Amino acid sequence: MDLLTPELLALIGKEAYYPAREPLSEASIRYFSLALRDDNPLYLDEAYAREAGYNGLIAQPTLVCETCQYAHAAPDADGYIGHEWHLNVPGCRMIRAGNDYTFMRPVLASDRISVKWTLESMVEKPASRGGTQLFVQSVATYIDQAHEIVAINTETLVFQPLVSHA
Amino acid sequence: MLRPSLNSKQIHVGQTLPESAQTYTEADLVAYGAATWDWHRLHYDQAYAQSKNLPGLLIDGQVFGAVFAREAMNWAGPRAFIQSMKLKMKSMAFARDHLVAKGMVNSLDESTGVCVVHLKQEIFCENRLVADALTAIRIAEL
Repeated sequence: MDLLTPELLALIGKEAYYPAREPLSEASIRYFSLALRDDNPLYLDEAYAREAGYNGLIAQPTLVCETCQYAHAAPDADGYIGHEWHLNVPGCRMIRAGNDYTFMRPVLASDRISVKWTLESMVEKPASRGGTQLFVQSVATYIDQAHEIVAINTETLVFQPLVSHA
Repeated sequence: MLRPSLNSKQIHVGQTLPESAQTYTEADLVAYGAATWDWHRLHYDQAYAQSKNLPGLLIDGQVFGAVFAREAMNWAGPRAFIQSMKLKMKSMAFARDHLVAKGMVNSLDESTGVCVVHLKQEIFCENRLVADALTAIRIAEL
């Protein structure tokens, strides 16, 4: 057990807040539909969405939890602009283990969504291929312009020691 | 014209969702990354991916949640609402993999006065499980 250092443990409870810079927008929703090959008119046709009972064009359910639209920064060395804790875990690669999403209501194209990230926990566990790996759990809370929570995303990332595939 | 939504009378445990299949091209990975403002090099930089001991360009795991949501909403209809999704990655998938998404009704819960259907959804690459999810979707009322 040597991945979970005192320096990492001290980061548990850390928070980061990203205020919305603009509405989610119809363009972001349409782009996501194209990328997902999703022609559901709920995301493309405002009249259809209103007929279905919504107050306008809605976003795909998971879009709010997947987009880094909240960010406004230059890409880091990995090319990433979204939220990161920049944890120092030498000799490891980071992969996604899972996401638990809870949705309170459909998100509208007109919604301005701010995001708060909290570093909830870090746990080191034995790895099936030997050694250990570090599980990092964070919670992202998505908040609209009325300060109401619209979604919660509990994300688990794992830092795995790099091993050769030789 | 609004497509009809499923109601609780039309749903039973064990019912399957239509399968969907897609071969994920490099262009698909770039399109998803751009649509989510995610420019991580794992998804388009072959040399970078190899430096991380990966055999190819990695498909972003979050896309599988989007696929599960797409399939659930297209099955249940425009008045359905996904309340929650527990998404788990089971193995990695890479550009040019052919992935198949499946789903089945695990249970129905009408204890709160509305019908919530619990789906078990999975994505496979041939016989290998890539991702799964437990998705709770509120069904349109009659």
